[in-house]
Amino acid sequence: MKLGGRMLGVLLCGLGRAGGTRTFSSWPPHSPLTGLLSAAELVGHWTAVFEERGIPEARQSSEYIIAHVLGAKTFQNLRPALRSQPLSPPQLGRIQELSSQRLQRMPVQYILGEWDFRDLTLKMAPPVFIPRPETEELVTWVLEEEARRPHAGNAEGSPLILEVGCGSGAIALSLLSQLPQSRAVAMDKGEAAVCLAQENAQRLQLQHRIQIVLCDVTLERNWAPLLPWGPVDLLVSNPPYLSHQDMGQLAPEICSYEDPAALDGGKEGMDVIVHILALAPLLLKDSGSLFLEVDPRHPGLVGSWLQSRPGLGLHLVAVRRDFCGRPRFLHIRRSGPQRGCTVDTSPRLQLAPVPG
Amino acid sequence: MGAPTSLIRACTGRQATSLWETLMGLSRGITLTAVQRASRKDSPAPLALEEGELEEQFVKGHGPGGQATNKTSNCVVLKHIPSGIVVKCHQTRSVDQNRKLARKILQEKVDIFYNGENSLAYREKREAEKKKQERKKRAKETLEKKKLLKELREAASRKDG
Repeated sequence: MKLGGRMLGVLLCGLGRAGGTRTFSSWPPHSPLTGLLSAAELVGHWTAVFEERGIPEARQSSEYIIAHVLGAKTFQNLRPALRSQPLSPPQLGRIQELSSQRLQRMPVQYILGEWDFRDLTLKMAPPVFIPRPETEELVTWVLEEEARRPHAGNAEGSPLILEVGCGSGAIALSLLSQLPQSRAVAMDKGEAAVCLAQENAQRLQLQHRIQIVLCDVTLERNWAPLLPWGPVDLLVSNPPYLSHQDMGQLAPEICSYEDPAALDGGKEGMDVIVHILALAPLLLKDSGSLFLEVDPRHPGLVGSWLQSRPGLGLHLVAVRRDFCGRPRFLHIRRSGPQRGCTVDTSPRLQLAPVPG
Repeated sequence: MGAPTSLIRACTGRQATSLWETLMGLSRGITLTAVQRASRKDSPAPLALEEGELEEQFVKGHGPGGQATNKTSNCVVLKHIPSGIVVKCHQTRSVDQNRKLARKILQEKVDIFYNGENSLAYREKREAEKKKQERKKRAKETLEKKKLLKELREAASRKDG
């Protein structure tokens, strides 16, 4: 069929307005201009295009985009029959559109408008922070610890979870979906995040079990309105934890599209963390737990910070590594009766050996 | 060809045990529906794999990971050391889900490897085949009965006519 060939030529050679002044002139010699291209062949084509333009994860990007247009989550998940069938012109057009965005270094998750976190599919939209795969294990750890706690009749509303910096809602919504009796309060200082998390909650039919609020926890004047939500069983957060040095080395995917406020933890990456640590005793029940994701350089720093403030009643119980072997997660437990106190939230730290 | 990435060995032994404990922890009621679904199957699950006998690999780029990177390479390669069987899973966009699936697929392959005909997969296949044959037989018998009845009725109407 001739239709396919000519239209293919137009679609695959012209990048349109998104391509700017750069013209794509190299045609992979192995791809015939005539004839219809299958998904598998198209993956090969776009991988070559991405590689030529220095786009990282060329093959993965091309596979995700093409699988998505064909209705599958990953290329491996695509039915073998669909992989070798010729694609329709609308499908080709859509792939062209999405691939052009990838050529602008847009993260795949924003291009597809969705991504998966554990067993949930969440809507993704710039500039709201894209959940990282490591963070799935934070949820796993929280669930393990929850399973170990004695449950008095599985009361409704238990455990009560508070999340700081919810972004798209990944952590809170995962926990809600795995702990049927739980309730959550999730907050973020970004309006876009609050809106997106709310939308994801509704998509997952969890909106009746979660309250999502706009709040910047680094401002102590914002703490008082939070106190009525507590005391809570679990405080959980993947707070901005990148240091200034890390912020300066971000790939274009991140620094051009994601909200820097979701990443920037100040000079040593500890600024938001110490505010959460200071807030924890005011919001956590006795024996309640705080779970944090941090930078691999932080476990020792957090340990020291807590040791020098025994009045907080917080203890670093355990440090857990992520699937790449880096110390990534902290379990901090609160002990002692509820009390209000002013805390020195300066991140100045003394070095101390890291426990565990 | 693109940016070099290196496969790393990760998560064997101690740390991996906690993942398995999570999966075993399903039976303690974290995800009741999953357990209920599993128990509705006819046969018990094949023998669980020991995390200490597994070697897991992920595609890891350079850099500190976490918030500092945005990688979409979520493929998991899982090896059962004693048998040498390797499974590669990229069926989902979640590393966590791929890890769980890889274990499930590997478990099945290891079961077949060691138990052959007696493995769960083969037993279920035979069971399904058996049921299929029984259904066919019953359908055939029903068809023959109907055919016989039809012939009898036609014979009777010819007599009358």
